[in-house]
Parts: sequence; structure tokens; C-alpha cells
Amino acid sequence: MQNPKRIILVGKPNSGKSLLFNQLTGLKQKVANFPGVTVELKSGRFDDFELVDFPGTYSLSSISSDESIAIDQLRLAMQSDTTALIVCNLDGTKMERSLVFALQVQQLAKQSNKSLVFVVNMLDELERFGHQLDIPALSKQLGSPVYGLSAKSLIGVAEFTKALKAHAAFPQDIPIEQVSLDAAQSMSLAKSLASEHGISQDIVLKQQNKIDSFLLNNWLGGAVFIAIMFFLFQSIFTWAAPLMDAVESGVAWGGELAQAILPAGVFSDFVNDAIFGGVGAFLVFVPQIMVLTFIIGVLEDSGYLARAALICHRPLSVFGLSGRSFIPYLSGHACAIPAILAARTIESPRKRLITMVTVPLISCSARLPVYALLIAVLIPSNSYIGGWINLQGAVFFALYFGGIFTALVVSKLLNTWLEKSEQQNDLPFILELPSYRLPHWRPLMYKTFNSAKQFIRRAAPIIFVVSMVIWVLGYFPNNGDLNNSFLATIGQFLEPIFTPIGLDWRYGVAILVSFLAREVFVGVLGTMFAIENAEEDMGGLAAQMQADGFTLASGIALLAFYVIALQCVATVATLKGETSKNRYSWGVFVAYGLLAYALSVVLFAILS
Amino acid sequence: MTLWDMQKNTKATIIGLNDELTKMLRTRLNEMGFVPGEMLTCMRRSPFRGPLVVQIQDCVYSLDQQLAQHIRVSP
Repeated sequence: MQNPKRIILVGKPNSGKSLLFNQLTGLKQKVANFPGVTVELKSGRFDDFELVDFPGTYSLSSISSDESIAIDQLRLAMQSDTTALIVCNLDGTKMERSLVFALQVQQLAKQSNKSLVFVVNMLDELERFGHQLDIPALSKQLGSPVYGLSAKSLIGVAEFTKALKAHAAFPQDIPIEQVSLDAAQSMSLAKSLASEHGISQDIVLKQQNKIDSFLLNNWLGGAVFIAIMFFLFQSIFTWAAPLMDAVESGVAWGGELAQAILPAGVFSDFVNDAIFGGVGAFLVFVPQIMVLTFIIGVLEDSGYLARAALICHRPLSVFGLSGRSFIPYLSGHACAIPAILAARTIESPRKRLITMVTVPLISCSARLPVYALLIAVLIPSNSYIGGWINLQGAVFFALYFGGIFTALVVSKLLNTWLEKSEQQNDLPFILELPSYRLPHWRPLMYKTFNSAKQFIRRAAPIIFVVSMVIWVLGYFPNNGDLNNSFLATIGQFLEPIFTPIGLDWRYGVAILVSFLAREVFVGVLGTMFAIENAEEDMGGLAAQMQADGFTLASGIALLAFYVIALQCVATVATLKGETSKNRYSWGVFVAYGLLAYALSVVLFAILS
Repeated sequence: MTLWDMQKNTKATIIGLNDELTKMLRTRLNEMGFVPGEMLTCMRRSPFRGPLVVQIQDCVYSLDQQLAQHIRVSP
């Protein structure tokens, strides 16, 4: 079958473009397949056409390398023969800014000899303010068809859908005027059109300014910010917990089923341990990532996230980061992989790099089981001040704080060091504060499910390969006896490395294996101490370790090691994918490993 | 004076953008509405020399000192 013709959708950020895209295509979307594409383009089916959503840009003249990639893609797509029509989305409440961009797009469409239609979105808000848009007049002045609609309240969407089908089928019916404007002419035309058709800014911004005077208030704003962050943390760790348990039991059930069906032997052990045990273990984090994405999505679509970035900009800039680094750091507490991807929104390449490289130092939830085990072994569950402060809880807090602290210190160091070696021109901080809006469920659902898909797609292959290798090393030559396996031999060989932390080869093996993914530490140690289901029965393992003479000094050294070391192959792979440099992936892996090791040796020497 | 010198709830007119800003950045600022002759309002100042918030035409932007001190304005 012939490839479907494409319709390209472009527009400014925060202009209701994504929602329009979702309304036109439904929830079935995929990442568009463009040759050599590096920016992610969403594409969906619209009638007989493929509708492609380009990322929101302010302008067709690029300012950062990532932006120029997006814009080059747009230029190429516009020139392509398969492109039938261009749809440019305008924010009806911000006519002047939208028109500056729209006129640029119109110029480009003319140069590529492509037909174009304009959509003035957010009509519901204009109506609420009692503003009437003269669409025929605007259409005449712009020289291209104009449609008014609201992707949120669906006013005009049915009419537009019908018109779009007709336009896309017969794009040649739209005249292409051969008038070209230079940048200054475009800007003055945008200004005059906006003053004629646009709504008075004071009316639109009145409500926004009222909310801002509360949320950005020097004192109250800070309190609200902390409250929202607290809520977010609660939700990652408590709301996601039942879902994570469900995935865990689902995977365990699958493993048991496979074992029941398959004849006992190497293959059955392999399926159960390597496939369900190794790959299944990381699926547990999917619900947490979805909950996190959902809440961050709500904050983003409501307009709060821009305010959060503004609030955090000053404190983070002390460490050479941007206010936009805040979101990756926040996401990093669930998992480093979506956090590294979230750094794409940082416009300064330098700050983006520093953010991506330091995100793995934030204590992600995979460290949680390791922290829990070591704390149970080492720290008495004493309560103080009438049960308000628990010693174990306080240690947890200290570990999380230690992660953030290290990330900030490393950022600061990188900032000083990069100044000499990296000549990346830095972009200053400028951020549009969008109007506050009630989020719509469609783009939110899409984002939530897409985050899970992205995570699995990026992490699954590498986790699969590494868990297979580890399984083979741990299984052979004595068919499943870990204590006498290749892995144990390697552990014994490397024992001198772990002696300075006061640990023997069994811990060495558990540490080595947890370079695949930290959370397996507990399971492997359980196998070594012959405790079945160590993840469930952490108390039993803790008692064994205590009886075995595991010292406080070793424990604290080991905790420090886990706070800092980058023990996650999937994160290294993501860093490699995003920076395309070994220096910033494997280099970072080695550097954090050495730092973690040095710190734990020093701590052990001091404490023992 | 520069944009960075503006007090909260005051208005000023943009005079120009300093050459310290790259050509690309100046073009972008023009497109965002920072054009000589344009009127802007300082909506908010943050403590500890944090970013300020300005309204220009139909948009509200937050800028840090590094950028705001290169935008010349007159009250």
C-alpha cells in the first residue's frame, strides 16, 4: 500500500496544539518515523492521512542545537512530497506572539509551495471573556483559511475535522500567494493584526496574575511549593506501592507458571531466574514511573511547573544548574532514566549536560531495598520525641539528603571544570509563564502510558542481556549452586578489593551483580546466606548478617557506596544515548564507582 | 537603566538589547516581544537576586539577572 500523505501540525508551546492533535487522532499514536530523526515526533492517523505533531517552538530561527534539529526536521518535512498540508495552531488568547510564529511558518510554506491553514485555538476562553473573533476578516488578511475552535471544549472541532479532510484531499484548492515579507514586516503585521483581532491582554492576564501573586509570593509561594513536593513524594512511594506489588506478584506468578509447564532443568531455571527474575524485577518500577509522569504532567499542563522552575532557579544556579534542572532531579527519585530524558527541556546545553550527569546520584527507588536491608541490619529502631522521630527513618532521610548533596557538589565541580574544557555557549534563563489551565485527560493519559513504553523500550534490552550473562556466570559450572559458580570464583578472586571495606567475597559478589541493577543486591545476598525469598524475608537475612559479624563500619561504608555508585546499566545506556559520548556515560560510571569506593574505604578506616 | 534595575509594579519602555547577547539570542528575544519601543511591566522580584517576572504584550516571562542586565529600558 502507498504511504499515506502527511499533514504537519505546528505551533508555539502552550498553545493547545497537543490537545488538538490528541482530539484529531485519538489515543492511538506512535513516534513518527522520519529519516534520521533525533527529535521525537508524535504521529497519529487522521482519516486517510498521517498527522504529525512537531514540538512547539517559538520561532523558526533556532537558538540551541536541539532546537535547530527540530527546525531542520520541520523544513525537510515541509519540502517533502508526501506532505499534503500544513496546519499552524495559534493561541487565541495570545494573538501577537502566535502570529509572529504563524507568519514565519506561512513564509516557509510558501517557499516550499505547500498549502497551509491556520487554527485559532482556545476559543472557549475567548468566549468566556466575551471576545468575538472575526474569522473571515482574519482569513482574508492572512491570505490563508482560518478556523476557530477549542480543542478543550470541542467548539468548532467537528467543523474543522470536516474542513481539514477536504483541504488535505485537495490542497491545490488553497491559493498560495506569492508575497514575501522580511522579519521586520512580519513582526509589524503581527502587531497590527493582533491589535485588530486580539483580546486585551489585561483581561486574560488578570486571573493569571492573581494566582501568581499567591503561588509566587515570597513566603506563601515557598510553602505551597514544599507542600506540592511533599505530596508528590508521598504519591510516588505510597500510591504506587500497591501497583508495584501487583506487578511483582504478576511476574512471580508468571515465573511459577513457566516452571510448572517447563520440564525441570537448565532451561526452566533460566526462564525462571534470568527472564522472570532479572527482567521481571525491573518491570516493578513501571507503575512508579507512570504515577510520577502523571503528576508531573498535571503540574506541567496546569502551568505550575514553569513556576516551580522559577522558584528553584536561584538556589540551583548557585551550583551551576538551571531552574529547569529541578524536574529531572525530582523525577530522579523514582528512576534516573525518565529523569535523564526530562533534561531535554533544559535549553542551555551545558546545564543540560551537568544535570544529566548528576541525576544518577539522586537516590532512585532501586536503592530503596538495599537501604532498607542495611538499615534493618545496622540501625536500632529507636524512637525519640514521643515517636515523632525514628532513628531508622532519620537514617533514610540522611541517605536521600546525601544523594542530593553529592549531586549538587558534583554539579558545582563540573561547572568549574567544564568552563575550561567545554566551549559550549551558554544560554541564559528565560521562561514563559503560561496561563493557568485545567489539564485535559487525553494528553495526560498519553504521556503516562508513553513514559512506561519509553522506559521499557530503553531499559529492557540491556537488562535482558546483562541478566543473561550474570545468570550464566552464577549458574555454571555446578548447575545452580551460586556458592560454587564462576561468579563465586570471580568474587573470591576480587576479594582483596572488598577487604578495605571489611567485606568478604559474598558481599563482593552481591555488589558486582548489583552493577546490573542495585535492587538485586538483596536477592543475591539472600542466596549466599541460603535464605529463600530474601526480598520478602528481609528480617531473616538481617539476622543472619548480624550473626555473621557484619560490622557497623562496613555497613556505613556500604551505604555510602550505594548512595554514590552508578550501579545501573540501563542508566549508563540512557546517558550514552542522550550524550552520544562515552565520556559522559561509561566515564561517569567509572568515576562514580571510584568515588564511591574511595569514600567507603575512608569511612571504614575512620569508623573501625 | 536595565531591565534588572526595575522595581516591582513599575513600567518601562525597551530601548535596546546589548551586544553581549549573541545575534541568535537577540533575534529570539525580538520574536518573544522584546523589541525597542515596546512597553513592559515588572510584575515580580524574587528574593536573593532570583529571576524577575515581566509582562510584555500578551506574555509573561521570567528572566534571570544574566539576561535582564543586558536589556536596556527607560522608565
